[in-house]
Amino acid sequence: MPDWVEPVARYILQEGLPGTLRVSAIAVLGSALIGILFGTLMTIRFLPLQALIRLYIEVFRGLPILVTVFIVYFGLPSVSRQFEFGPLTGASIALVLWGSAQVAEATRGAVQSIPHEQHEAASALGFGWVGRHSFVVLPQALRRLLPPFVSLLVNIIQNSTLAQVIGGLEVLEAGERQNERLTAIPPIGLGEIHAFEIFGGVAVLFFLISFPLTRLAAVLEKRLI
Amino acid sequence: MLVATYDLWAFVSENRDELLDGLLNTLKVSGFAIVGAFFIGGVLGAARAHRIPVVSQLTAAYVEVVRNTPILVQIFMIFYALPQFGLVFDQFTVAWLSVMIWGGAFNSENFRAGFQAVSYRYREAAHALGFGPLATFLNITLPIGGRIALPSSINTYISVLKNTSLMYVIGYAELTTTSLNISNLTLQTMESLTVLAVTYLALVWTLSASIRLLESRLALPESR
Repeated sequence: MPDWVEPVARYILQEGLPGTLRVSAIAVLGSALIGILFGTLMTIRFLPLQALIRLYIEVFRGLPILVTVFIVYFGLPSVSRQFEFGPLTGASIALVLWGSAQVAEATRGAVQSIPHEQHEAASALGFGWVGRHSFVVLPQALRRLLPPFVSLLVNIIQNSTLAQVIGGLEVLEAGERQNERLTAIPPIGLGEIHAFEIFGGVAVLFFLISFPLTRLAAVLEKRLI
Repeated sequence: MLVATYDLWAFVSENRDELLDGLLNTLKVSGFAIVGAFFIGGVLGAARAHRIPVVSQLTAAYVEVVRNTPILVQIFMIFYALPQFGLVFDQFTVAWLSVMIWGGAFNSENFRAGFQAVSYRYREAAHALGFGPLATFLNITLPIGGRIALPSSINTYISVLKNTSLMYVIGYAELTTTSLNISNLTLQTMESLTVLAVTYLALVWTLSASIRLLESRLALPESR
């Protein structure tokens, strides 16, 4: 292997990969929590609440995620100084807004697919609305949510690359920085172009993470429905 | 210090021509890519549904690669990596080519599912009437399966449209790049973001509404 490969690969894996994983982890957790909450609340027959959540879902599913990233990263700070985030945090927040809208829509469907008898039986046992949903309805709905959830995880991991656009150090940005370093004229760089190898490597890295997950989603879809 | 004022109207009217050009470029790139993705999806989807050897396996590989790598990385590959082999494209070509490749992969899955959903009975009936394989496809599988695949393929086209915003990274002057470049000069960040949000939502919501309309119009008689 040529000499330049090892430091490039190490930089991508040691500096870039943790960024990608951090953004993805925050985005997945945040999307799940907010999405399941909103999706469940949407099944309450209270029109203003339903309309509000519907608007949230349609806006953040409708906007290109990059535009949401810009709104969070460039727009919010001009509203108030306390909304100034780093690029990785900004991208995570944008992905939570988008992901939670996806999860909310899926949760609404899953909760509504639970037969009404389940709600009634839980009520008869003395559960209130919160107990009924957290102990009876949601555990059953979550089973149906698992396949779309794994697909969402894949989407979030791939869309974490949007942090690159605002300069967040994740895998793609790490690759881009190394690409620029190698392209620079010696003694700073090598004066060589290795864009194909570097971005190809980044693509392979994402493929190795995503492919098992998309397979898993396909298997879950067959087994759980 | 600069006093922050919000004047959407001033932003839009002072930069009307640039913004309209940006919107036009967004629509142009999306249009090119959607037409391309339609044909790629139709042909490769048919190959997959009919298990045509070699083409079918190659298509499966193409779909998996596109589905499991970020589109931003795909754009970087086309824009920064291909020139290494003498394949230099201008920004407009990279823009429509990358989203077309992306959309074509997802669309081939939409069409494959649509064609496979066409009942075997119909094809047997066509066969009994003396239709050859091509005539059966064109007269039976395509019209019925195409209708089944239509809603999901429009969803893919909507994603194609949204993904054209990523051409910001290669500096192609579509809507997102144009609007943000203006705000970099004038510091009208909020106005610029409002224009982007409103325009994209208007486009996406219109297309989504058209799905619902088409779904009821084009639903197969037996599923009504």
